[in-house]
Amino acid sequence: MIERCLGPHRCRRIQRALRHLKVTVLCLVLTVVVLRGTIGAGKFGTPEQDLDEIRQHFQPSRKRAEPHRVLEEIQTGGDSDSSSAASGAGGSNNYETFEINKIFPYTLGPKISDWDEQRSDWLAKNPTFPNFIGPNKPRVLLVTGSAPKPCENPVGDHYLLKSIKNKIDYCRLHGIEIFYNMALLDAEMAGFWAKLPLIRKLLLSHPEVEFLWWMDSDAMFTDMAFELPWERYKEYNLVMHGWNEMVYDEKNWIGLNTGSFLLRNNQWALDLLDTWAPMGPKGKIREEAGKVLTRELKGRPVFEADDQSAMVYLLATQRDTWGNKVYLENGYYLHGYWGILVDRYEEMIENYHPGLGDHRWPLVTHFVGCKPCGKFGDYPVERCLKQMDRAFNFGDNQILQIYGFTHKSLASRKVKRVRNETSNPLEMKDELGLLHPAFKAVKLQTNQV
Amino acid sequence: MVQDALRTSGSGGGLPKTAVSNGGGRGRGLLLRGWQVQNTSMNIKIMILCGFVTILVLLGTVSFGNLGSSNADDAVNQNLIKETKPILAKSPSASVPNDLDLEEPPKAEVNPNVTYTLGPRITNWDSQRKVWLNQNPGFPSIVNGKARILLLTGSPPGPCDKPIGDYYLLKSVKNKIDYCRIHGIEIVYNMAHLDEELSGYWTKLPMIRRLMLSHPEVEWIWWMDSDALFTDILFEIPLSRYEKHNLVIHGYPDLLFNQKSWVALNTGVFLLRNCQWSLDLLDAWAPMGPKGPIRDEAGKVLTAYLKGRPAFEADDQSALIYLLISQKEKWMDKVYVENQYYLHGFWEGLVDKYEEMMEKYHPGLGDERWPFVTHFVGCKPCGSYADYAEERCFKGMERAFNFADNQVLELYGFSHRGLLSPKVKRIRNETVSPLEYVDKFDIRRTHAEAKP
Repeated sequence: MIERCLGPHRCRRIQRALRHLKVTVLCLVLTVVVLRGTIGAGKFGTPEQDLDEIRQHFQPSRKRAEPHRVLEEIQTGGDSDSSSAASGAGGSNNYETFEINKIFPYTLGPKISDWDEQRSDWLAKNPTFPNFIGPNKPRVLLVTGSAPKPCENPVGDHYLLKSIKNKIDYCRLHGIEIFYNMALLDAEMAGFWAKLPLIRKLLLSHPEVEFLWWMDSDAMFTDMAFELPWERYKEYNLVMHGWNEMVYDEKNWIGLNTGSFLLRNNQWALDLLDTWAPMGPKGKIREEAGKVLTRELKGRPVFEADDQSAMVYLLATQRDTWGNKVYLENGYYLHGYWGILVDRYEEMIENYHPGLGDHRWPLVTHFVGCKPCGKFGDYPVERCLKQMDRAFNFGDNQILQIYGFTHKSLASRKVKRVRNETSNPLEMKDELGLLHPAFKAVKLQTNQV
Repeated sequence: MVQDALRTSGSGGGLPKTAVSNGGGRGRGLLLRGWQVQNTSMNIKIMILCGFVTILVLLGTVSFGNLGSSNADDAVNQNLIKETKPILAKSPSASVPNDLDLEEPPKAEVNPNVTYTLGPRITNWDSQRKVWLNQNPGFPSIVNGKARILLLTGSPPGPCDKPIGDYYLLKSVKNKIDYCRIHGIEIVYNMAHLDEELSGYWTKLPMIRRLMLSHPEVEWIWWMDSDALFTDILFEIPLSRYEKHNLVIHGYPDLLFNQKSWVALNTGVFLLRNCQWSLDLLDAWAPMGPKGPIRDEAGKVLTAYLKGRPAFEADDQSALIYLLISQKEKWMDKVYVENQYYLHGFWEGLVDKYEEMMEKYHPGLGDERWPFVTHFVGCKPCGSYADYAEERCFKGMERAFNFADNQVLELYGFSHRGLLSPKVKRIRNETVSPLEYVDKFDIRRTHAEAKP
């Protein structure tokens, strides 16, 4: 029929073309399927859905926030006399009127009101577990941790390992115990809020601990000789690195840093945790709280509520309740932003010595925004990892020199001997006094075994 | 007619539209057959092409990993297991370090005529130490009635060959931190090669010596491999048993002296007292260690002397066994070969039994009912070439870690959802009087109360 219409030759050509077309289409379809199978998720879905998924996967909401925070740190870091117009704005927006506590009553646990008495009773009954291990030296528990699963970044776990070794070294020298957390105790308080239920649990389970020292996994000790000035904090319950003006006057969201702080084990701390927690629960609460914080705090980008901003807000709006027991420390780097420190290590080695703890020889170098465990930080991965190696070696050199060694350079994993072995090892002078420091000496008792 | 046939050929891979027309002569039949053959061949070509592409698609979606395991590996594994079944196997524990620094060329080889030494010979360490302890009463060697112990462990300075290796090193160190916090033991985590010559499994020797000499207040140095995990958090080493000994090591005297087996002792976990005897032992132990021809030659000697030892360079375990056998009178009276509890517990026979243990027994036993240490010998989480199937190793490590972690988390009222799960679940509600649980579950207090 068709043949009769179009003529035999053309018909044949058309049929041949059809045949080729069929084969081509078949191959095309199969190619697409292969590509989806190898590159894509292997799931079938519309391209837009896939794109959405990809977009969500690659851009966590925090990503845009960190550069801002960092830029602020650079501009205001160490600048203690930043005179900003002390505006009395936000006087009416305090935590109570916010009312989120009343609408969404999340609690960390049943309210305890007599923790001080419970604890002192326990301490009296257990004299072998004193809360002070020396005159002026409280028992401290350093708490840090990481996610239960392996890092997405293949070298992330290696840096977590180096970081915990660094903490082990400092804490061994200073008689501090460590708790490394790898469990998510409360699924609602995931992410940066996970430390709150953990801290509460540890305070209540370890009444012998006087101070709990929270430290992020991306923070490293870079001054092994510096001992915290415990007497300074006799009257305080919370010690964070920050500046009073930036928190109370400016309400700047990076006016303090919750990556490294001290919390005393008492009723006040439990109450603070209860007041701090409500902005944390994942989902709508955290999102809404994030909007409030962005509105109320200076310089804060738009993202869900984080524990640091919530703390700034809490202190700024309830200064009368909490302020007198909070010490915002800036005399030394209880938290030291890495961006302004890591390039100066060689200069520090030349001009200064360990034990200062401040800008001349920082106690802590905190790799804010680096996210060695995840795949997408705010800085180029190379720079972060390279600098983390340098900071690690900078701290490790102070440990190795006790035993007569040092790294060949701040970038090198290899070590070289700087002091020969001797047949009278005990006469060797330990320059930094880290081998048997005074703050580690056991309290002498009259009838010691 | 012929024209019909020609037309039908144009219809491609399908069957000819028109049947072989009536009255087709031989010529037409041949032509038709020709076309048919061509059609068929065309069909076959397309079929092969489709089949090939289908296989590609399947390969793309199904993971490649399943194709990796080969029969050869299994056979080797079977042999190894068979060989070491009656005895506990140990292969070199620490992986050979992978120094990726390209700064310096490798050091020149040591002159084999000069005996290697760990340092200048010290002969009066016991008296030096005693004097120091007297002068420094703030750093006694006995604290709260317990001798001061320093746990030494470590791993190579660079990232592991497999990223998951670093993850397990991290969990391993957390496990040790937990045990040591509960039992008042300090940890030194070594990531430096103090001596280029004593590399690999020999790195521990210079480090042990250095720590002994720097820390006279430490009574015992406890070496523990990075692939060994504590699985009985309650159990404490019965130091009173070792008052007259200086080296405590897991093993079997029969295997050691009668069979001269290379796995008679395990140097993955041992205690060494801080005294002159130990310094002498380290000096006698070290000479087989230096990298290069010395280590290779020593390896041959050890393989010839010890039963079941494969041919490879000298390792610290074989060297120690050789030393203790050949100089039995000099050393053995101060060596305690422990096998009443698992100071070192070979993982293969233990990791599958954890559920059974949880059902029947309780922590604090330390032996085969509730092993003190589960040691993943041969797994080499950080290196590339393990002696056992990777998956079995890592699953076992996960289970051992969670088994131990459950004992730590009990104080806090949590437990892992399963021995393979990193997630935890609550096993005890929050309360307004948490201290009653602290009294009940805090392991340190259990031990403190037990003391007179």
